[in-house]
Amino acid sequence: MKKSVQSTIVLVTICAVMAILLALTNSVAAPIIKQNQDAAANEALLVVMPDGEGFEKVDISSYELPATVTEVYKEAKGGYVVTLTTAGYGSGFVIMCGVAADGTVTGAVCLASTETLGYEKTYGESFAGKDAAGVEAIDTISGATKTTSAYKNAVKDALNTAIILGGGSVDLRDEAQILNDNLSAALPAGEGKFTKLFIAEVIEGIDAVYTADNGKGYVFVIGEEFIPVDENGSTDNATVKTAYDILVASVVEDIDLTAYGDALKYITAAKKTASGNYILEAKGNGYGIMGGDDYHPASGEYIIVRVSMTPDGKIIDTFTVSQAESEGIGDACADEKFYGQFDGKTESDYKDIDAIGGATLTTNGYLKAIERAFDALKILEGGSN
Amino acid sequence: MKNNNLSILLKGIIKENPVFVLILGTCPSLATTNNVAGALGMGLAALVVLICSNVLISLLRKIIPDSVRIPCYIVIIAGFVTIVEMIVHAYFPALYDMLGVYLALITVNCIILGRAEMFAGKNSVGKSALDGIGMGLGFTVALVLMATIREVLGNASFAGNPIALLEPYKIEFLVKAPGGMLVYGLLIALVYVITRGKAPLKKSFSCAGCPNAGSCQTACTSAQAPESEKGDAQ
Repeated sequence: MKKSVQSTIVLVTICAVMAILLALTNSVAAPIIKQNQDAAANEALLVVMPDGEGFEKVDISSYELPATVTEVYKEAKGGYVVTLTTAGYGSGFVIMCGVAADGTVTGAVCLASTETLGYEKTYGESFAGKDAAGVEAIDTISGATKTTSAYKNAVKDALNTAIILGGGSVDLRDEAQILNDNLSAALPAGEGKFTKLFIAEVIEGIDAVYTADNGKGYVFVIGEEFIPVDENGSTDNATVKTAYDILVASVVEDIDLTAYGDALKYITAAKKTASGNYILEAKGNGYGIMGGDDYHPASGEYIIVRVSMTPDGKIIDTFTVSQAESEGIGDACADEKFYGQFDGKTESDYKDIDAIGGATLTTNGYLKAIERAFDALKILEGGSN
Repeated sequence: MKNNNLSILLKGIIKENPVFVLILGTCPSLATTNNVAGALGMGLAALVVLICSNVLISLLRKIIPDSVRIPCYIVIIAGFVTIVEMIVHAYFPALYDMLGVYLALITVNCIILGRAEMFAGKNSVGKSALDGIGMGLGFTVALVLMATIREVLGNASFAGNPIALLEPYKIEFLVKAPGGMLVYGLLIALVYVITRGKAPLKKSFSCAGCPNAGSCQTACTSAQAPESEKGDAQ
């Protein structure tokens, strides 16, 4: 009994003494270890801001920053280093971007990524020394559009973060959000859900027309102006009223394609309006169809383009009905930025558009579909080929 | 007496070298010897822990009851290892990163527990300190020797400084784990050849020399292994 008590006391005492020794050592070593670790972290920051000094982590929880921002360090001279996680082509990547006090990018590096092509490893170099306009002007890389545009957007987010943390304000909404907000403001009854109307009539002075998904009216866009028309068709803008009346009066009837046989084999649907305009849906061979017209090994699907034209061959509106092009590359043909370029073009100049980066075959297929629509127009108008 | 102390100090370096002769501390010997700087750091860290723990255990050898001596030793050793680890982390961060988990693993390095059990628990403070220094130096010398061979031949560099002359001839296999095994085995053989016939070896390799001797002494005595070759008892 005595022996076991003695053993316990000795062991406990030794433990206690060692614990005290450890505590003493820790009180000396811990601050130095912390300092070393901070210095190591700063070293990474110096890569993107070589002449930065005195970095300090910013508590970003009280700011409304772009969603990509994960960490921000403020630098003594007023610059910021921002860490951002962004979705790219794959599961995304992490970049670190330095922004100097004057709003120029001091450097950007990719810290981690699972992208397939590796462009993100060097793409950041092109941003060094650029201001907001300079960043905007940098081209994305063909074939890695998703990766590089995500990168570019992240750098823009970093610039915005610096502005916000510096006390400024930035519109963080993307284009689609801004458009939707404008539409909702013009027509609150639309409940925030609008669809762009495909137009088959020539209407002067109107840039675009959106219809509320719940049928509560329309919004006409003239430049920066958003003019609502309620479900009864009343509006106080004369131009819009005229345009609205034209649209409402527009009557379309189907054209029987079988009557034309093989001459219109590339046209999947055709309609004619009372005013004589045509709405044609033509198919084109995108990426993957290199040989035959009816073979698409990549997806089995054509690019179907809907185009409305006046009888004398002027494009009124264009829309991509369906496509199965490569994600992140050719699928940009379904983007209004691309097909919107055709509005107002004729057969002589419809090819003067900006091609889709890295997707020559998609662009060519799209142009082919429009060419076929022009061909079909001649047949439908002339009655013969 | 002086002569005796000197022999305590020196025996750890070759005659009872912990790595090559006692075959203790094999894990760090293989893991940290692919570069000289890491090996030297590891050796010195173990040396410090060995001296401190040997001295303290020797001081306390009359107080620590036999029944709890192993837990006591381990607490003391682990304490010193943690202290060394903190200091290395604070003042030599590069070495800390290089050694990684092996630094903390000095705690379970059998050289240290082995010397505590075999020597410090039975001898005076002075002798225990000398034993710690000797064994620690032996460990360090062994690691540096192994690391030199592996780094120079395997990576064509010494302590991180490239040796351009050897660059085209480097045997990369040597810096990998199997290369470590090979070099280790060859060095054990070499040390065996050098120390062959030296009398005290057999005794230290018998059961009495084992850290577990205390707990299995009886079984050991009755089934005394034939000691014709020193390798048998390892």
